[in-house]
Amino acid sequence: MPSVISVIPKLYHEYTTKTSKKLKIVDAYLLYVFLTGVIQFVYCCLVGTFPFNSFLSGFISCVSSFVLGVCLRLQVNPENKNEFSGLSAERGFADFIFAHLVLHIVVMNFIG
Amino acid sequence: MPATIAAKPVNGPDQGIFHNTAGFSTLITVTVLTLAWLAGFASRLFAVIRFESIIHEFDPWFNYRSTAYMVEHGFYNFLNWFDERAWYPLGRIVGGTVYPGLMLTSGTIHWFLHALNIPIHIRDICVFLAPVFSGLTAIATYLLTSELWSRGAGLFAACFIAIVPGYSSRSVAGSYDNEGIAIFALQFTYYLWLKSVKSGSVFWSVCTALSYFYMVSAWGGYVFIINLIPLHVFVLLIMGRFSQRLFVSYTVFYIIGLVFSMQIPFVGFQPIRTSEHMAASGVFALLMAVGALKYLHSLNPKGEWKQLLILGTIVAAGAVFLAVVALTYMGIIAPWSGRFYSLWDTGYAKIHIPIIASVSEHQPTTWSSFFFDLHVLVCTFPVGLWYCIKNINDERVFVALYALSAVYFAGVMVRLMLTLTPVVCVLAGIAFSIILELVLKEEDTTQAPIETEEVKNDKSGKAKKRVQETVQAQDQGPGLYARPGTVIAFMILLMLFSVHCTWATSNAYSSPSIVLASYGNDGSRRILDDFREAYGWLSQNTAEDARIMSWWDYGYQIAGMGNRTTLVDNNTWNNSHIALVGKAMASNETAAYEIMSMLDVDYVLVIFGGAIGYSGDDINKFIWMVRIAEGEHPKDIHEADYFTERGEYRIDAEGSKTMLNCLMYKLSYYRYDSGGSPPGYDRTRNALPGNRGFKLTYLEESYTTEHWLVRIYRVKKRDEFNRPRVPLAKRTIPTSNSISKKTSKRRKGLLKNKPTVVKGKKMRLE
Amino acid sequence: MSIELPAKSKMRIFVVFLLFISAICGSTNVDTISGEVKIKNVDRIIDCSSQLVKTTSKITLENTGKAPLKNFLLAVESSVKDNLSFLGVKDSNNKDLRLSETVVKGYGDVRFYRVDLKDPLNVGSTAVVVAEAVLTKALQPYPTAITQQEDQLVKFIGNLYFFSPYHVTSQKTNVILNTKTIESFTKVKPFSQLDGTLVYGAYANIGPFTEKELSVHFKNNSPFLTVSRIERLIEVSHWGNIAIEEKIEIEHTGAKLKGPFSRYDYQQDHHSGPASVRSYKTFLPASAADVYYRDTNGNISTSNMKVKKDSVELDLRPRYPLFGGWKTHYTLGYNVPSYEYLYHSGNEYLLKMRVIDHVVDDMQVDELVTKVILPEGAHSIKANFPYPLTRLPDTLHYTYLDTQGRPVITFTKRNVVENHIQDFQLRYTFPTIFMLREPLLVVASLYTLFLCVIIYVRLDFSIHKEAHVKAN
Repeated sequence: MPSVISVIPKLYHEYTTKTSKKLKIVDAYLLYVFLTGVIQFVYCCLVGTFPFNSFLSGFISCVSSFVLGVCLRLQVNPENKNEFSGLSAERGFADFIFAHLVLHIVVMNFIG
Repeated sequence: MPATIAAKPVNGPDQGIFHNTAGFSTLITVTVLTLAWLAGFASRLFAVIRFESIIHEFDPWFNYRSTAYMVEHGFYNFLNWFDERAWYPLGRIVGGTVYPGLMLTSGTIHWFLHALNIPIHIRDICVFLAPVFSGLTAIATYLLTSELWSRGAGLFAACFIAIVPGYSSRSVAGSYDNEGIAIFALQFTYYLWLKSVKSGSVFWSVCTALSYFYMVSAWGGYVFIINLIPLHVFVLLIMGRFSQRLFVSYTVFYIIGLVFSMQIPFVGFQPIRTSEHMAASGVFALLMAVGALKYLHSLNPKGEWKQLLILGTIVAAGAVFLAVVALTYMGIIAPWSGRFYSLWDTGYAKIHIPIIASVSEHQPTTWSSFFFDLHVLVCTFPVGLWYCIKNINDERVFVALYALSAVYFAGVMVRLMLTLTPVVCVLAGIAFSIILELVLKEEDTTQAPIETEEVKNDKSGKAKKRVQETVQAQDQGPGLYARPGTVIAFMILLMLFSVHCTWATSNAYSSPSIVLASYGNDGSRRILDDFREAYGWLSQNTAEDARIMSWWDYGYQIAGMGNRTTLVDNNTWNNSHIALVGKAMASNETAAYEIMSMLDVDYVLVIFGGAIGYSGDDINKFIWMVRIAEGEHPKDIHEADYFTERGEYRIDAEGSKTMLNCLMYKLSYYRYDSGGSPPGYDRTRNALPGNRGFKLTYLEESYTTEHWLVRIYRVKKRDEFNRPRVPLAKRTIPTSNSISKKTSKRRKGLLKNKPTVVKGKKMRLE
Repeated sequence: MSIELPAKSKMRIFVVFLLFISAICGSTNVDTISGEVKIKNVDRIIDCSSQLVKTTSKITLENTGKAPLKNFLLAVESSVKDNLSFLGVKDSNNKDLRLSETVVKGYGDVRFYRVDLKDPLNVGSTAVVVAEAVLTKALQPYPTAITQQEDQLVKFIGNLYFFSPYHVTSQKTNVILNTKTIESFTKVKPFSQLDGTLVYGAYANIGPFTEKELSVHFKNNSPFLTVSRIERLIEVSHWGNIAIEEKIEIEHTGAKLKGPFSRYDYQQDHHSGPASVRSYKTFLPASAADVYYRDTNGNISTSNMKVKKDSVELDLRPRYPLFGGWKTHYTLGYNVPSYEYLYHSGNEYLLKMRVIDHVVDDMQVDELVTKVILPEGAHSIKANFPYPLTRLPDTLHYTYLDTQGRPVITFTKRNVVENHIQDFQLRYTFPTIFMLREPLLVVASLYTLFLCVIIYVRLDFSIHKEAHVKAN
């Protein structure tokens, strides 16, 4: 356990040095989306889930935004170049926007 | 026709003859696929040619009726359609209890054609929808197989799926059912899934989710996808094949697919509330955890993290599993429904849900039907499976899992043969392609030049695979005559296969079942059109709001062809209502009259095959009515009463007294004195009915069709027979009784989902 | 001269002739009754053997006036004028005479028709004309409901005398029943009964507008089939084909079935259910081909077709036998070649087809709607009908490859019988060049399709390039 704790500052250090600025922006966005999701969840725990579909659509849109953000981050990351061989960063971003388009049309429909 | 079909699988290997130019191979591919489409379409037309363009069987009639309603009233009215013609007096919210994909598909085609001023009737669109979609299925299968193996294998698979009886059984012209389009959606979703796993592209994942959405809207079998894909991911994780591509494709697919699937009113909140869908969310959470740990690992790639990673994964998996179990216990997530239990425990349905067990297509599959439906493919697909496992990669793991699970399910239920068929075609396609490749590849230069050419192309096209296979190919070393021999043998096999397919489709699966044909001694064909005769009579000569009581099998047909109110139908959502009808049929006339007047029944319709020897009639189904009735009314109905002392089910003089006096018996044999010799002889059960010459007090014969197949009785009003009037107060009691029973029986699997659906719909409207 | 008239009897039928010298003949439709006309002799045959009542009266007119007689009047009493479906007059050479409705002052509830004679009738001479009238729903089933095994009894109530505003010197009436089972009938001497026929008369010197009840109650098991609605659709194609589709709703309007229907009894012998209709015959034009017979649930497989010299005989069996009060509906369609019905000179076309075709022998049709769909581009349409019809507003119909829609001519008529099977004429102009439009449309759309594919293929490449550019 202590080793885990001791590792955290090391991790932080690694992160700040290794990660490019572009990715940090994405990470900030991810953190923001994550917090929104958490707030929604807490709110629903406190106030109740009614109307359920509205809560769900809000929460799911958060989760999916997060997921899509993560995917974008993975695809943009130059370290993963060989994983995503046919995919350029621009293609990744275009996909990201396409997915968001589809997602938010559905969420609009679902939110009622 | 057999000639066309036979020609086509043979065309499969021809694709190997393509030139180095991409154009030629595309031409071959397009030609073969077009031929496959045509052959698939043509071989499904037997019913139309032999009979006419008509909707078949039972469920398609409901689909057709709803499609016609949607075309007439528009999509939004269809979603809000409350059908008071079904499940009298409860009614049915059709929009919220169907998978609308089928209706939407044909409605869209209809709309499109009418926009072009092509005045095709919606019935014809419905009749020909499944054959047309079989072509699309062939293309989807081709894509899936080429993704898995090679284009040659894909062409084989496409040709197989186009004509294989296991699939055409559900997609002949006129069989307008969800499965017809769902198999296409299934194959296409899998194709897109493999594509997205391969590329790791968000775009393909979103496409997978879209295709999955279509599948959800089309068929309840979407659960198969939403369990198989997570299983694939899970197995890949266990095999240590985690990749960021997998992460991207699954997470995007899952979350967008989830929100998509909840758009279908019938599905509603089930994807987050029922156990069937929990595997998917569990894998989603697990994948997120693994992804996070991997990321942390990548930040600090040192040895001590390795164990932490594995430990973390296991802990995450355990936590997800426990969370699901806990939520199930707390009742937030509904446990598995009865139909799913019966998939794991084949005996379950027989004991607990007779209504599921009573349907013949829910019975376990026999060995012969495997062979009948798949023929040579059933023997060759293990070969393909073996090759897939031998040369494993991410996609082939998927197809192996698909094959294994589908084989299991097909063994459990005849109906799920349908999900097995596509994967069998895929694997058999692979097997055939490998075999032909082995045989043709090592042709010497002395052989025909065309075949040498093919070798070259194989080199270019499938270089990767070839490396692995050269060793194998060399030690096979067949003799000079062995190769052509093998080729000829396989050609004969394929020929036999196509002959069998044509034969099976034509003889076993192309009967509309509402029109029967009988053959005279001189080979002349006689059409027995009794069903439509009866339904036509009902639609024209009964009051517009007349309520018809019949066994649930005929509910959709009465509504579709007779256009009259029914009490129960093939959408068996309310077990207690069905049990009430079963009880009425199983009781004696007086008791039955009480039930019938409680339910405001005007007419009773029974199917009686005794005169022509039709075995699917109500007397033969009667024992299931008794069982279902007994399940809900154990005090009044006892199954044993309907058997003789020796435990036989018979209707002749030795039959039990209860049997010979129940309503079903009386309605079937009332004034039945014709048919064969001696008069009144029942040709279906080969017996002389035990109770004859009786009179009916509470009912009168209204109509009987020409061959006695359908008999319709009118329930007399109370003032029509000499009997004291029952006071109003007494009459209402049983009604309230039945309602309370209904609610208390909710734990029966079939009722369960109902409240959720209604709730979800209401909330959506807000 | 006067005869008491039982006002309640709706079943009264009678057609009366009135010989009339009109000074103001011609265009006006108000006439007066002249006393200078006499009917010397009437031979009347009332045929009640089917569901219709067909009256054929052979009338000998005499001009007792001072001027030649150009036309004369024909009248129907108020109690039967709603049942009157068809009225036609022929002269002794079997030529149709022109008939037009008119009004006589002081006789508001009697309906009059004026008949124009071919040649004016000279003073003092006589002429023989034959008037034919068909009445629908004039036979009432009595009792109104019977069981499956009973015979159908019907009651006919009519006028014993020749209903006439003029003096009829001598008259004789034959009532044909085609059955010996007669429950009751009016007995006014002199009369006689010989198998299946009642003979009344001769009665001498009956005055104008004389009515006396003639009532016959007898067995009539002939099919009582009423076509409650028929929609006849004629689609003309200049490619050589005319498609005809008839949507027919048919009902057994005889005595209703009382009590149960028993298949056992019905199967026992063929005399069971004597009043029911198992099948009936429909005659189509001799050139009819591709006949189909179906309803909303699909083909009705129980029918036979016989091709005869001058017609195609269809033996139609409804899905179920028709008992009293039972209905059925079906669609019958066929094609005929257009050269038999469509004539043209240059761009002018003339379509000559039947307003209604045969459905059942002795049919009675409550409502007929005929629609004629002309080819797209037809204009200056002029219709010419053999008898008065209601023409509904024209509409447009869109079908394969139509852009501006095909003109649809619709007309309707109530209470139609076999005598109405006559030709209507439709003249229109259709430029022949329009025939090429649809093939050209197909060619153009295919061309566009290929063009799109070509462009798509090019586009596809450009997208790839873009992606590559992006990737770089």
